Amino acid sequence: MHQHVTARRRALRLGAILALAGGAWFALAFSASAESPSPSADAAGSPSPSASAPTVPTPGPSDTGWMFETPAPIDQVPLATAPPLPPLVVHPDGAGVNGCYDCHSAVNNKQAAITAEWESSAHGQAAVTCAACHGGDPGTDQIGKAMDRAIGYIGAPGRMETVGLCGSCHANVARMRTSGLPTDQYAQYWSSVHGQLLVTENDTRVAVCTDCHGAHDVRKVSDPKSKVFATNVPALCASCHSDARRMEPYGIPTDQLDVYSASVHGVALLENNDTRAPSCTSCHGSHDAQPPTSTNVVEVCGQCHTATQELYEQSRHSELKAAAPKCWTCHGTHDVSKASSALFFHPETPDYTCTTCHDLTTHTLRLELSRFENEADRRCDSCHHPDSQIYAQIEGISDAVVSAEAAYEEADQTIQEAARLGMITADAEVALMGAKTSLIQAQAAVHTTSLTKIAALSTDAKTKSEAAMALATAKVDENVFRRQAMIIVLAFILLSVAFLVITKRRLDRELEEG
Amino acid sequence: MAANPPVETGERPSGWLDQRTRLGPVIRASLHVRIPMSARTYYFGGIALFLFGIQVVTGTLLALYYKPTPEAAYESVQFITSDVSFGWLIRSMHHWAANLMVLFVGLHLVRVFMQAAYKYPRELTWVLGCLLLLVTLGFGFTGYLLPWDQRAYWATVVGTEIAGGVPIVGETLLLLLRGGPDVTGDTMSRFFGIHVLVLPLMLAGLLAAHLLLVHQLGLANPRRPEPRVATPESRQERLRPFFPHYLIDELVAWYVILAILVVLASLFPVGLEGPANPLETPAHTKPEWYYLGVFELLKLVPIKVVGIMIPVVGIGLLVVWPFLDRSPEVLIRRRKVVVGGATLVIIALLALTVLGFVS
Amino acid sequence: MDSEVGTGPLTEGGGPIAEGGGARTRRSFLRWLGGLTIVSTAAMILTPIVGFLIPTSGSRAAGGGKILVGTTAEIPAGAGKVVAMGSKPAIVVSTDQGVNAFSAICTHLGCVVNWNDMIGAIHCPCHDGRFNPTTGAVMSGPPPAPLAPITVSVEGDQIFLTEA
Repeated sequence: MHQHVTARRRALRLGAILALAGGAWFALAFSASAESPSPSADAAGSPSPSASAPTVPTPGPSDTGWMFETPAPIDQVPLATAPPLPPLVVHPDGAGVNGCYDCHSAVNNKQAAITAEWESSAHGQAAVTCAACHGGDPGTDQIGKAMDRAIGYIGAPGRMETVGLCGSCHANVARMRTSGLPTDQYAQYWSSVHGQLLVTENDTRVAVCTDCHGAHDVRKVSDPKSKVFATNVPALCASCHSDARRMEPYGIPTDQLDVYSASVHGVALLENNDTRAPSCTSCHGSHDAQPPTSTNVVEVCGQCHTATQELYEQSRHSELKAAAPKCWTCHGTHDVSKASSALFFHPETPDYTCTTCHDLTTHTLRLELSRFENEADRRCDSCHHPDSQIYAQIEGISDAVVSAEAAYEEADQTIQEAARLGMITADAEVALMGAKTSLIQAQAAVHTTSLTKIAALSTDAKTKSEAAMALATAKVDENVFRRQAMIIVLAFILLSVAFLVITKRRLDRELEEG
Repeated sequence: MAANPPVETGERPSGWLDQRTRLGPVIRASLHVRIPMSARTYYFGGIALFLFGIQVVTGTLLALYYKPTPEAAYESVQFITSDVSFGWLIRSMHHWAANLMVLFVGLHLVRVFMQAAYKYPRELTWVLGCLLLLVTLGFGFTGYLLPWDQRAYWATVVGTEIAGGVPIVGETLLLLLRGGPDVTGDTMSRFFGIHVLVLPLMLAGLLAAHLLLVHQLGLANPRRPEPRVATPESRQERLRPFFPHYLIDELVAWYVILAILVVLASLFPVGLEGPANPLETPAHTKPEWYYLGVFELLKLVPIKVVGIMIPVVGIGLLVVWPFLDRSPEVLIRRRKVVVGGATLVIIALLALTVLGFVS
Repeated sequence: MDSEVGTGPLTEGGGPIAEGGGARTRRSFLRWLGGLTIVSTAAMILTPIVGFLIPTSGSRAAGGGKILVGTTAEIPAGAGKVVAMGSKPAIVVSTDQGVNAFSAICTHLGCVVNWNDMIGAIHCPCHDGRFNPTTGAVMSGPPPAPLAPITVSVEGDQIFLTEA
């Protein structure tokens, strides 16, 4: 009971401070949330009464720690307990005066640069002042008073404390409500490889909040100048992950940025500035950065490639579950390139061993990751042996798609030829558009592995391509006819000219004589 | 063109017809044009006349299918070009004959200038000729918009923009041309009306006057000036009969031009870009080649008003030139300054046009 | 010009005949050539003109203006249909807010979109692009831009599209 009251009093005091800072509405909202115990707090299973105000963590005497509901457990590694969320930084209200800014902007160039950064940052715009992170008293111009550790001055927080310091506000639902920002980054961070290394091994070399978002120059994710803006993300991640010296202790590759930049995704994002294209964080997550594993990669790719995911899930492949070939088996990971019918077969039959596809001890199918590292090996016949029945089926699929592509290509070429001759090809182009629709569907249907579906769509594409081809051929023929007719007309004109010239000569002669 | 086998029809019907029309003397008079043996026309004027005939025929045919509204124009031109039999030929002929007409009117003007054929007594013929050139350019400008494709639309936007830059009257001129502040369906109605009604009537009238004067005055002798009072020497000058001798030459030239047109229309049929889209400016907004020189000049001259006034003043000078250049000399070697200056202007215009093509 | 064009046919055509048959053959040849000139010139001019004037029995209308694409019975509320507008496909969608029409060419890769009853939206079968049936705006998927709207008018139970 005593604890409960203490917690409540603390909470109310905090609420009052916030009310002064943020307005009366804020206080009402807060006290309302403080009064009704959140069900999520119960779900967390904390026996502490402090859970009645879960978003305002209190370093109560019991201090049982903050248990995290981690997102779907990845790789079955138990996540280490996340550290407790520290309280909001408490500092005297400056009553409208920002003494920190007044001194630091004038003391020297370095300090002035920091204050300028803050001023243009998201925090500066939202009136989150120096003391909100650094503590101290902004209301005084006395350096000793303002930066007195006794009243809670923090100074520059260490890397270890940074996550908690940011989280104290950003994981605080009440505090974030007016800004409309999510509050789960703190929890997500501790589930990431970065957070896990930090909390279990005290490895402060990992990325913390400020490494990506900046410290004084925090910018909104929608701000193109922000380091976390979509097109800047690959360079941001690479600033550490492409550094061989930095990555050496972790034994992970450092060529991802180069490989990614050359991929369809990299080209779309970095060269075409198409912010819908995925960056590192689209697949790995940002705060919860993790490499997606072979089991959940289909869902990761399927976030964007919805239609393809749906088709894949109809396939025999997807029924194989863990041993199933996944997106990356054929398309790669960082090096995704434009898919084509070259993905069906190796130019020459590869060598097969039993262990390529089978686990000899358990006699089950297995998927050997290393076999697909090389782009040239991501082919159907990497697994399917030429003597197998499925191989014959793949040949059928390949033939259907390749012949449809060839018919489309031929029609397209003929239309271009007709257009080059100066013919109007609008109707043929529209006909080809229908062929393209079927062809793209046929190509996408390869993910279903169903020969009948693929063959039906391919035949449709072929028929439509041939119709477009017929229109285009008629135009090319028409042009040939025009040229032939032109020669005949020219011959007649020549004869007429000859007649006129002869007549004129005769007249001239008569004129001379007469 | 169709009415031109005069070799056969000249004599016979006149007996019967003449009794009923009494037009014999008029026809005989009109077949008599004074053509000095030494006159060299290079057929430029006659070819321009022939091309105008082609434009009348093909233009009339095109008007039968063309629909002058922004909604329908593009589709109707596409229909003419790809569905109507010989539609491609008629449209391509109209296109190429228009280009050649501008070219040959220009060449005709240069020839007359170089031979000093604009001097006494042909000053008015020259003025009418200059007006005919302006009408021809007007035909090109208004006709260019009618297919209502991207190229047509934006060339018109750029072209009318130039007119808008003329000092004082520019803004009004722009509104008058476009029928509003922007190039819209109103502009199309205007241009169509001007192209098929106003300009043909103007051209026909001016042409009739021009030809009448040519008929009355005959061709100029490029070797000696026309005497104010007839001299025995001038009376003895050897003449060539207009009919049939001169006309047959002219006919041969027309056949050659027809052959050129057939080749151009067959090998380079006129196409059609995407439909006009006022919201999407294409990268290559350029006017037709005969406006390219002026267009380039505007880009090069830093002060817009000056850039626009140069061609305006130039055309004004051209029209009144016979009244400024009063020397009776016709031989080039005695008109070195005038011919040299004109050559420089032509070279500058050609250079600007070439520059416009490559830039 | 005359000498260039003229000498060839003259010496080739006129020479041998003049030698063999004299002035008479020569004159009849000239008359024949003259007739050919007149006939061929007339044919050259009249063929395209007459051909041009004969109305085309093509399926496509001469274009422009309103195009009847169907009736409200064919496209009841909550349904959509791909129709031909001139040479291009268009999609007519009927919703509770009325009848709308858009270009049926997907802004992503140019596939032809269709109406999907299950999702109640315009759907591109190629990459699952979805478009709002009343505005043509992209609801989800890769299309970078909305479908271009087309003016629709409903007169009685007939649906017309207007080209623009």
